[in-house]
Amino acid sequence: MREIQLSLNQTQKIRLQKALQKLESMHSKANSDASVTVADTIPISLEDNILKGHGTAERNGEVVATVCGVVERVNMLVYVRALRSRYKPEIGDIIVGRVVEVAQKRWKLEINYNQDAVLMLSSMNLPDGIQRRRTAVDELNMRNVFEENDVICAEVRNFQNDGSLQLQARSQKYGKLEKGQLLKVPPYLVKRQKQHFHHLVQYGVDLILGCNGFIWVGEHCDARDSLPEEQSNQTDEQTTKSTRVSETMPLETRQHICRVANAVRVLSTLGFSLTLEVIMEAFNLSRTLNLGIDEMLGSEFHVLVAEKEAERRSSLTKKKR
Amino acid sequence: MLHSKTFSKKTRGGKVQKLVREVYLRDDIYCGASFCKVCDTSAARFTASASTILVLDTNVVLNQIDLLENPAIEDVVVLSVVLQEVKNKNTAVYNRIRALCSNPARKFFVFSNEFHRDTYVQNMTGESPNDRNDRAIRVATRWYQSHLGDAVKVLLITNDRENKKKATEEGVSAETIESYVKSLGQPALLDLLAQPASEDIIMEEVEDLRPSKRKVVYPEHKPMSEITAGLTSGIYHQGKLRVNRYNPFEAYVGSESIGDEIVVYGRGNMNRAFDGDIVAVEILPQDQWREDESLSIADEDDDNEEVHLVPSSADDAPRTTNSVSGSASDTNPISGRPCGRVIGIIKRNWHSYCGSLEPMPMPAGSGGLVYALFVSKDRRIPKIRIQTRQLENLLDKRIIVAVDSWDRQSRYPSGHYVRSIGEIGDRDTETEVVLIENDIDARPFSAQVLACLPPLPWSVSEQDLVNPIRTDLRHLRVFSVDPPGCKDIDDALHCMMLPNGNFEVGVHIADVTNFVHPGTPLDDEATQRGTSVYLVERRIDMLPKPLTEDICSLRADVERLAFSVIWEMTPEAEIISTRYIKSVIKSCAALSYVEAQARMDDSRLMDPVTKDLRNMNTLAKTMRQRRIERGALTLASAEVKFQIDTETHDPLDIGMYQIREANQMVEEFMLAANVSVAEQILKHFPGCSLLRRHPTPTKDMLEPLLRTAASVGLNLDISSSKALADSLDHAVSDDPYFNKLIRIMATRCMTQAVYFCSGDLSPPEFHHYGLAAPLYTHFTSPIRRYADVIVHRLLAASLEIYKLPTIFRDRPQQTSIADNLNYRHRNAQMASRGSVELHTLIYFRKRPIDTEARIVKIRSNGFIVFVPKYGIEGPVYLTPRGEKGGGEWFVDEQQQKIKKMDGSLSYGILQAVKIHLEVVEPQPNRPKLQLTLL
Amino acid sequence: MEYVSPEGLRLDGRRPMEMRQLRAQIGAVAKADGSAVFEMGNTKVIAAVYGPREVQNRSQQIGDQALVRCEYSMANFSTGDRKRKPKGDRRSTEISLVIRQTMEACILTHLMPRSQIDIYVQVLQADGGTRSACINAATLALADAGIPMHDLVTSCSAGYLNSTPLLDLNYVEDSAGGPDITVGILPKLDKVTLLQMDAKLPVDIFENVMQLAIEGCKAIATYIGEVLLENTKQLEYRKGL
Repeated sequence: MREIQLSLNQTQKIRLQKALQKLESMHSKANSDASVTVADTIPISLEDNILKGHGTAERNGEVVATVCGVVERVNMLVYVRALRSRYKPEIGDIIVGRVVEVAQKRWKLEINYNQDAVLMLSSMNLPDGIQRRRTAVDELNMRNVFEENDVICAEVRNFQNDGSLQLQARSQKYGKLEKGQLLKVPPYLVKRQKQHFHHLVQYGVDLILGCNGFIWVGEHCDARDSLPEEQSNQTDEQTTKSTRVSETMPLETRQHICRVANAVRVLSTLGFSLTLEVIMEAFNLSRTLNLGIDEMLGSEFHVLVAEKEAERRSSLTKKKR
Repeated sequence: MLHSKTFSKKTRGGKVQKLVREVYLRDDIYCGASFCKVCDTSAARFTASASTILVLDTNVVLNQIDLLENPAIEDVVVLSVVLQEVKNKNTAVYNRIRALCSNPARKFFVFSNEFHRDTYVQNMTGESPNDRNDRAIRVATRWYQSHLGDAVKVLLITNDRENKKKATEEGVSAETIESYVKSLGQPALLDLLAQPASEDIIMEEVEDLRPSKRKVVYPEHKPMSEITAGLTSGIYHQGKLRVNRYNPFEAYVGSESIGDEIVVYGRGNMNRAFDGDIVAVEILPQDQWREDESLSIADEDDDNEEVHLVPSSADDAPRTTNSVSGSASDTNPISGRPCGRVIGIIKRNWHSYCGSLEPMPMPAGSGGLVYALFVSKDRRIPKIRIQTRQLENLLDKRIIVAVDSWDRQSRYPSGHYVRSIGEIGDRDTETEVVLIENDIDARPFSAQVLACLPPLPWSVSEQDLVNPIRTDLRHLRVFSVDPPGCKDIDDALHCMMLPNGNFEVGVHIADVTNFVHPGTPLDDEATQRGTSVYLVERRIDMLPKPLTEDICSLRADVERLAFSVIWEMTPEAEIISTRYIKSVIKSCAALSYVEAQARMDDSRLMDPVTKDLRNMNTLAKTMRQRRIERGALTLASAEVKFQIDTETHDPLDIGMYQIREANQMVEEFMLAANVSVAEQILKHFPGCSLLRRHPTPTKDMLEPLLRTAASVGLNLDISSSKALADSLDHAVSDDPYFNKLIRIMATRCMTQAVYFCSGDLSPPEFHHYGLAAPLYTHFTSPIRRYADVIVHRLLAASLEIYKLPTIFRDRPQQTSIADNLNYRHRNAQMASRGSVELHTLIYFRKRPIDTEARIVKIRSNGFIVFVPKYGIEGPVYLTPRGEKGGGEWFVDEQQQKIKKMDGSLSYGILQAVKIHLEVVEPQPNRPKLQLTLL
Repeated sequence: MEYVSPEGLRLDGRRPMEMRQLRAQIGAVAKADGSAVFEMGNTKVIAAVYGPREVQNRSQQIGDQALVRCEYSMANFSTGDRKRKPKGDRRSTEISLVIRQTMEACILTHLMPRSQIDIYVQVLQADGGTRSACINAATLALADAGIPMHDLVTSCSAGYLNSTPLLDLNYVEDSAGGPDITVGILPKLDKVTLLQMDAKLPVDIFENVMQLAIEGCKAIATYIGEVLLENTKQLEYRKGL
């Protein structure tokens, strides 16, 4: 059994258990026994017109699971949604990754996938923003754009037929991420949504929930937000960016960044789905309780978050009814 | 099922190590009472009407096993904690209590209290293991009482006062074994009670019994911790104490730490150790080393050397000392061998002993409790003090006595009476004593064993004939040659001239494994017995009589199943090919050695069987010659043969066993068959074959032979078996008996051949020294030797006739079988010798005789002679008893001569002397042979 | 030495056909993709799985399937006497290989070409049957890492002492020197993926012992299945919608 690895005292243990039980009861109401483990047979109601999706295999005329997860049925497609596993990319996913290698006309990024993802120089907007052929000079200057260990935000472009993953960062909202924290959580906790970039306006913090489970919390960068609206203002943006590097971040912002990051950490330890709403709730909880940033990682806060989450979800289900 | 688990910690010597072991506590261990409502009663043991259930403490089991074996003791719970303690302390007792527990007739039930949920006892801090175990016993007793309710009384039997006191405090009813036995009201049982060691007796009781004798006779044994410390630091030496068979006041401790034997002189130095005990010895300062007294014939106290049979190998021979310079009146007081004294006993080798009570006057009030001294037949064992209420019954009986304790205050160990065998001097009784002493099971076969036999009358069936594994050899002219009157014929031969001038020679061995299947009670019994035992007037079979004398015996004119080894041989007796087949044969003649010899010698006879015999004899001679060239030793033994009165079974005549050519012929083919089979099985099963090896004797072992030979001017080369054989051949003088004498002495220096499992040794060690064969096994006598049965199975498996029984895969078990076979084999030989000695005594009781003897050993006060005619050996005293070292005689060690001071008389080794032989009875009921010089 | 008393109890109170207590915990190593601790009585093993991830040594990359690597080690404190054991001795190399091959047989490696899966197993406490425990732990860790597999490999040992087949030997029984086999099976597929025995046993007895070991494997499979299912459910409900 997976145990949440915290040192809890007796009452905390009971409280946590209670909260989790509450969650479980809500869940089992919502979703019947669709969980399977490896080699379990997946019952199929439709005779033979089914499509076997991910995490399934056929054996002796039966469909069996090859991973642990939840059976999902979409029309004729039956697949097993694996919970804990590496990132399974889909085209269009927004991901956060870290450069591990600068190679010929490409960067290689670690994105929690089976292999390193490839970001071609050609699928990248040049610093000067001009659309043109990439020259040999550009190739030589690749390190000026991204170096090893830089954190980058990009989008899944396509799969190559050899299985490798191509990224693109052709929009101004993608690119190098600076002045913040990179968090790694299991990818199943990040749900694909319309919006993965979040600007927490009142705190001046950017939050990027990468589909691959890499989460960026950093100082807000105006340019990116404004960019979709003001495409023309490129030169300006460039100047601001370069000037801002030297600027120091206000202490308050730093604290906010840490607080958000810790909220994410707590939620991921508890295994709760990461959405802006949930993160902000945990964030606000810590603030209302006047907890220090460091105290957020203590067991008490974990229990509180779990209880809060249970409450939140139950109110949600009630609302639905 | 799985309950909780707990951990116990243990430390081991040297490094401290923490060991963690799981214990699974269970709720499915039942109480064993058939009337129990709660438990599963399928394995129940107790009688339904049991009113008292006994729970035994460890000390009761350890000390009172003889009593427990008496059927009067019933409804006993044996706790697993008790079994474990008993096992650690005394394996023999453990085996006996286990046998009791597995005997369905006895109501002994094993309760695994250590794994029961409610009776498991955790070690408390500061509690000794002993206390914990005692507590466990009490807890289990209490559980039994509460489990079975008030209908049954659960009684804890303990002789541990502390334990009893605590039990009573805890509300558990407890009694000592004595008071329990008394309450049974059977006085005969009281004799079986072991005497508690005096530490346990309350002091005033002791003082009542022997008011003034409380003085310390023996030094104290050192505590175990001190011994272990001493052993590791090298002050003490550990080893098995072996008492000299011929002088019970001298013992040896073979110590690995100093690589030599430590001699222990006298009972005081032996300090209550018995023969076979593992002891710790301290080496005495060198000035206390006594010069070797084993040169003189022992006559301390009333014990002295007895006349006995000639030993047939080094194993039976009295221990001879290594070359020690100096004679009785020596100038060199310090001998080469260290002397020591026993300071502690690490492991006792006590068991029960056969013997009789020392004659003593009947006390006035007969029937009361008296102390008596028991004298064992085995002279190595000291006298044992026993308590009895039936003295008048036991005085003239052979009895069995077990040792209980030996404390510092008493000169003799104390023991208790176990059972009586019969009248002293009665042949049957004495024979039984021989059997008991050699641990031979002479009981009739049990019903389960007999049930394994095929129905009688048995004959070869149609099925056997059509069986594809069996070849029909009934057309062959097969015959057997055995000693006269032999009923268990297990080998037969045939010999046929082939068209190409070669011979086909077959050795046919009774197919015992066709009837004895692995895993059956019959097989188990045979494994245990190991061999048939041949006594003078009787044979104790390994297999039941129908098999031995009928079904398996290859008698004349009946069809029998056999396992055959068939060779094609050139006229030069070179083996061209070998076949092994299961067969059906029909023997045409069962000859005796005499008959066979007569036929071969009678040149007028030209019948086919005689011709075969002659052909075989020619081949055998060639084979023998070749074997001897290879270095096989022709050894000699002084076997004797009795003629027994068929009515009274008393010996009528006695004489040396005569070996004829026919014997040698059969022997030769049997050897060849054994060697062939050994090769075959080893080829197929290199790891698990049962072979027989004969270790090369070491130089030390041959030392006495060399010394004797040197003294008569003979130079023996012992560098190899070939060299030894050659020099033995050249050892001739004008004395016609000289060569045989030397050979007998050579034989005596060798150890016996032993069985072993091929996986336990490396191939060079497989060598058989005596036969000069690299491989040897026993195949030819499956009726009377179990080793042959095993080899038959191996051979059958190598031919893929049968599957190899599983036992062969279990190396430790196989090794233990081989060890058991060696043990049984030795015991059988010892028993045969014992029986011959017994009959020699009976024979000479009525017939004192003058005869010729040979001097084989010189001692300071006489010499040992060998009487070839009767195969006996014994001391002849030159100085009268008691007159120690009269100075009239002195020993010349170099020339092995004993001379009178004035030079008028001298006796040298191998010299012939005339002696008088008669039976004397120095003490009532202990007759012995006495030799005197004429 | 008596390993089964005439009452039919083993040295630790089990009956011949009984297994030791099983315990499993998933997710013991936070940084790993999948991890588990598996206990069989006093034998305790931790396993961590990393991957599938980029192949570290490019030359080892396989074009059409994943590279599976395994490293077995024994903690210095795992046995009674604390010894510093050299890494990569014969025994651990052999066990690494055994685990790797066993796991490779059940992982659907063709679904993850050009990637690498690392399995690290370490014995924390050794009390016999470490091999089996390692395989069971590795299976759990792989399942936790969400790596697609044909089936859950489970393994169990059995031996033959005192003419009795014994299931799941502990250290004392293991060092008795009798024949012992380690079996790994794919329980749902009913296939054997691992069979080790370095002694001789006659075929009929071998079959009995093997059957016993397979029964043991199936019992472990049931247990592991339950643990994984419970784990999946927990993850799912915690995650919420």
